[in-house]
Amino acid sequence: MARLIEVQNVYKIYGEGQENEVRALDGVSLCVDRGEFVAIVGQSGSGKSTLMNVLGCLDVPSRGRFLLDGTDVGELTDRELSRIRNRRIGFIFQQYNLIQGLSVLENVELPLIYQGMDPVERREMAMEALSKVGLAERFKHKPTQMSGGQQQRVAIARAIATRPPIVMADEPTGALDSRTGLEILRFLQQLNKEGSTVILITHDNGIAATARRVVRLSDGKIVEDREQEVDWL
Amino acid sequence: MNIVQAIKMAWKSILGKKGRSALTILGIFIGIAAVMTIVSVMEGVKIESMRQFEAMGSNRINVNIYAGGWDEKGNYTGKDYFPELYDFCNGMKKYVLGVTPNANLGASVSYGTKNSENMQYEYDDNWNLISGPPNCVYGSDQYSVCNNLSISRGRDLAWLDLENYNQVCVMGAKAVQVFFGNADPVGKILKVNGNSFTVVGVYAPRMDVNGNGAQMDNIIVFPYTARRVLGGQPIQEFIVKARDGASMEEAISRLSGFLKGLVDQHTGGYNVYSESNWQKESNEYLTMIGLVLGGIAAISLLVGGIGIMNIMLVTVTERTREIGIRRAIGAPRASIVSQFLIEAAMLCGIGGILGIAVGTLGSVVLSRLLVKMTVYPPVWVVLGAFGFSVALGIIFGSYPAIKASRLQPVEALRAE
Repeated sequence: MARLIEVQNVYKIYGEGQENEVRALDGVSLCVDRGEFVAIVGQSGSGKSTLMNVLGCLDVPSRGRFLLDGTDVGELTDRELSRIRNRRIGFIFQQYNLIQGLSVLENVELPLIYQGMDPVERREMAMEALSKVGLAERFKHKPTQMSGGQQQRVAIARAIATRPPIVMADEPTGALDSRTGLEILRFLQQLNKEGSTVILITHDNGIAATARRVVRLSDGKIVEDREQEVDWL
Repeated sequence: MNIVQAIKMAWKSILGKKGRSALTILGIFIGIAAVMTIVSVMEGVKIESMRQFEAMGSNRINVNIYAGGWDEKGNYTGKDYFPELYDFCNGMKKYVLGVTPNANLGASVSYGTKNSENMQYEYDDNWNLISGPPNCVYGSDQYSVCNNLSISRGRDLAWLDLENYNQVCVMGAKAVQVFFGNADPVGKILKVNGNSFTVVGVYAPRMDVNGNGAQMDNIIVFPYTARRVLGGQPIQEFIVKARDGASMEEAISRLSGFLKGLVDQHTGGYNVYSESNWQKESNEYLTMIGLVLGGIAAISLLVGGIGIMNIMLVTVTERTREIGIRRAIGAPRASIVSQFLIEAAMLCGIGGILGIAVGTLGSVVLSRLLVKMTVYPPVWVVLGAFGFSVALGIIFGSYPAIKASRLQPVEALRAE
């Protein structure tokens, strides 16, 4: 059985060949198996966000191969990539990235809408995801009427509504105070316990301590890749 | 994603920016309303003129003869060519059904208390003629043949009426209604410019007596020799009715030949032309006016379309982040394109529907004011206007929509 994520010697180079060439990813190779909880750690500018964008099929590498479940992502069409983002990956962003004009429920339903799911089933799944994050009663609210922590929980609900095998969180606690931040991390650990593969991007070593495996990036290269004891929250 | 979802989404985003949406719609709305009003009024005028032409019958030849001069008062003093024309036409019965003068006389007609001089045109709510002064015309015994009329009561004008200067007349159905209501006019005596004329017959209506075009049957036909007592200038215009389309060409060429020999080309002249040609020309003329006016109005549609494009471009820029989010959670390019296209098409479609409503109102009001009849826009104009406005949205929305879909998800997510 193919590995879930297999990155082979990937480069992401901006302005290649020019004087101000930037190597955001400089020959990265990485494997992640099902059920892992990986923290990708690094200073800002280390290339960790670029790596997440590549892993999340939001961006394509300049060179190298990225295999997802054995499929070379570089050979897929836009429609196929969209399908992967929709069904296999749930994103959680630092800035929550909820659509302001839509209600909480509508935001959570959105990925299911793109699956073409019928309204009744869709609503059920979205409500289930919302109750998991404890916000089922607030489904009618607009994101702007909620606190940061609550908005991030809505974003988590949206990410898990499609029950994707992979959850990617890019600095999910970056805009939150430490107490609500912990709450979010606890959700991620819970998801991992339930079988999801979680990839957490952070610059904070304390937050990385919640993950079993830590991959450290610096200047676009992997400088450390180790397993550790986990702080269960 | 299915179309119902996409439409709901577009509707939500239109409602989310009500003021802006309303202003954007305004451009399309004004354009559609203006074009629709113009097109349907012109259509109405055309249809009505066709109907009147048809009611008078086809295969008519207009003959125009003028000769001689004018006196000091400007009155025409030319020769009366009708007897010669009459004999010539009745000598080619194989091609021609009849010939008649085609001239109005401004006479005052009265019966009892009813006097044409005191009559005003009266219309009902739908601009159908209720009452009004009749047109008094000179005719021959072949007037009815030439004008598609048939006798419903009494008798038609006869050759002897002309020869003997009989003071008789035949009334059109509407004129009867105006003067006599439902009573039988045959045998009654009308006072025409003070002279007594006996009504000998009534023509059946060519159009609905109470409807549109009733003025066509608001006529009183006098033998043209009554000119001796009723006055008026010598007659210059005549109608020749050909037997059929094929006979018409022959009749026209024979008439031209005959008139060439008859009329002195130095002091006068003549014209022979088929009415269907004239009708075709007048139709083309109306179509052209309609196209020019419609074209001018269509410029406002173009401006409206550019407005749509402008707003959609702004919307795309504003919603770059939203596009990024949608792409990240699995929206393919095609669904981003359709989202913005549907939004543009809906904006224009709403503008179109409002425009059609106001355009319908406009064509009803304007046609009443201008041509005194009620014109509703033809179905093809309504459907066309709606289809066109939606197409406008799709055309002008496609550039912004494609632009939106081309955004890389990563870059779109980075936007503020």
